[in-house]
Amino acid sequence: YAGVPVDFEEVQMDPKSESNEDLEYAITSIRRNGVAIKGNIETGSMSRGVISRNVALRNELDLFINVLHCKSYPGVKARHKDIDIIIVRQNTEGEYAMLEHESCYVIVQQSMKVVTSENSERVARYAFEYAKKHGRKKVTTIHKANIMKLSDGLFLETSRKIAADYPEIEHSDMIIDNCCMQLVSNPHQFDVMIMTNLYGTIVSNVVCGLVGGAGLLSGKNYGDHYAIFEPGTRNTGTAIAGKNIANPIAMLNASVDMLEHLGHHYHADIINKAIQKTVNEDCIHTPDLGGQATSIDVVQNIVKYIQQTTKTSNCLNFNAQCRYLKCINIHTYIIISLTIR
Amino acid sequence: MLNCSMVRIHRVSSNSNSSCSLLLKMAAQFMRKVVSNGTPLTRYYSSEVKKVTIIPGDGIGPEISAAVQKIFASAKVPIEWESVDVTPVRNPDGKFGIPQAAIESVNRNKVGLKGPLMTPVGKGHRSLNLALRKEFNLYANVRPCRSLEGYETLYDNVDVVTIRENTEGEYSGIEHEIVDGVVQSIKLITEEASRRVAEFAFVYAKENGRHKVTAVHKANIMRMSDGLFLHCCREAAQKFPDVKFEEKYLDTVCLNMVQDPGQYDVLVMPNLYGDILSDMCAGLVGGLGLTPSGNIGLNGALFESVHGTAPDIAGQDKANPTALLLSGVMMLRYMNLNKHADSIQQACFDTIKEAKYRTGDLGGQAKCSEFTNEICRKVESS
Repeated sequence: YAGVPVDFEEVQMDPKSESNEDLEYAITSIRRNGVAIKGNIETGSMSRGVISRNVALRNELDLFINVLHCKSYPGVKARHKDIDIIIVRQNTEGEYAMLEHESCYVIVQQSMKVVTSENSERVARYAFEYAKKHGRKKVTTIHKANIMKLSDGLFLETSRKIAADYPEIEHSDMIIDNCCMQLVSNPHQFDVMIMTNLYGTIVSNVVCGLVGGAGLLSGKNYGDHYAIFEPGTRNTGTAIAGKNIANPIAMLNASVDMLEHLGHHYHADIINKAIQKTVNEDCIHTPDLGGQATSIDVVQNIVKYIQQTTKTSNCLNFNAQCRYLKCINIHTYIIISLTIR
Repeated sequence: MLNCSMVRIHRVSSNSNSSCSLLLKMAAQFMRKVVSNGTPLTRYYSSEVKKVTIIPGDGIGPEISAAVQKIFASAKVPIEWESVDVTPVRNPDGKFGIPQAAIESVNRNKVGLKGPLMTPVGKGHRSLNLALRKEFNLYANVRPCRSLEGYETLYDNVDVVTIRENTEGEYSGIEHEIVDGVVQSIKLITEEASRRVAEFAFVYAKENGRHKVTAVHKANIMRMSDGLFLHCCREAAQKFPDVKFEEKYLDTVCLNMVQDPGQYDVLVMPNLYGDILSDMCAGLVGGLGLTPSGNIGLNGALFESVHGTAPDIAGQDKANPTALLLSGVMMLRYMNLNKHADSIQQACFDTIKEAKYRTGDLGGQAKCSEFTNEICRKVESS
């Protein structure tokens, strides 16, 4: 309905499959196209040899940054209002390096957390550049360097070093447990936050919870050459799959991010405004936000606004059928089909 | 708005590096001596006066310890306090060490109450608290977080107990620099430790009338380590069929905890997640100044307040003794002195609820002594 000049190449991934064929095809496809949008992929196999598909995707394509822009929606009931935090998280190493060993016949397990100065520097540099570009005043590094002195110590030192290059931006640091405590009592003190992989999971989920739920925010994974957009909290929502109550907003926000990245600001803007109107003014909410609407209701409302906007302006007549890179599990999945007459 | 000085945990000490490493060596020596006495802890069934070691600590430690002792005295708790100081002193042989009296006291009494200690932060040595836990074999850290009536936060239905594995996991302290610019840190999970803490969680749930135990993990990513932890939890669950068991991913728990904390009851998890989640739950109810904490070990138990030493308000009668008091109440329950525990706890909650005597961090004007006296009055009249 928005006349987006984008053609989609769809890739399915079977969570029950033990082989990596789907994964490799997906990676090749992304390498070819450069940009992707995806739902969260469930890795059905819990066996040790099979790596988590989401992690594998990120590592292969070197998507070293995950950016989550957490902004409150005025129309969504939440305990805290007007939250506006950017979370920049290291995406490929840290605790998710997936290097595990077994010593002594299963009774002792080790998992390694790897921190490199190169990756830490890239993350910090990106965060400060982002802050500069978007007029953000404060960057906070989240760590546990009092306990993990070498690894988190390295991460902290690197971000302090980079901070020296940006004297106009205030840099501070906070220990992760204190940070979580402060987030639940006073989230407004945070502006841009940098952290390693695991803390990123924790903090992004906490902030998504504060904003109103997993169904609203979208995350951007960036690398030097590729970009993948996805729902912010990486949940598969298996329990509610196929029931038409899933919240499509996160995916739609991801699509808006993707369009911004591709430079289609006009279309991104149309869809974004439609989303904002639906959530904030019309308050059409799915059950996870405390409402009664179904997924289709939300989508149709957004389509309605898009149609209104595009009628009043010149729009190109494309015949594009869009589907999204999705995850298949035993039930079904969110299909958002936009067709243009 | 919580007084930030109460929330501080880590302090920068003015000690030099060498005395810090000595301090740690002494702590380890201290603890080895404590552990060497191998008799298992049994429950106290007789009504004789029991001896308990109290470590007042630094900063506001001495005043809040005094407050707790006063309240316990007015409740006529059959406890005799043995106060020890763990500040290193010069031994007869000229070296600095934790006083012998302190070591013997804890060894003998097996139950202790600890105030906030100043811990040096820096490169190259582990924190004193970490050393204490490791050597004493304090394998489980229990932190019950309950919304306090009368002290309103945005969350009013919190009643969660976080049980965290206390000796290994991400805090194993094993780190290396492989090459210049690449560092690795090892997370160690053993079957023995995981089993111990899992079984403790279920025993705790059963004894305290809790209905559900949730294991928090990240086994989709850390398959082997968290997988082992989860396996031990599942095994323990089978031994306690009347307590419900579920497993949740860390992200889901974080997400749900800030939206609806009432859905969780007892949480059991490895070290790092436990640290973060227990602090987050403390934040939901009002901060570290109100949260009790207990460390259970093979040879005894140590209950402590987890806030900082708050040197800026030390000695001014402004401190809030609630955290240490509630830890003391936990200690009484551990020692099976439930009647006394109940009356002191009720007096404390009632005082906070009435809001007439509240210390600065809770938004009031009362002095520490006034707050303490009010609780004593309530205890004596009950």
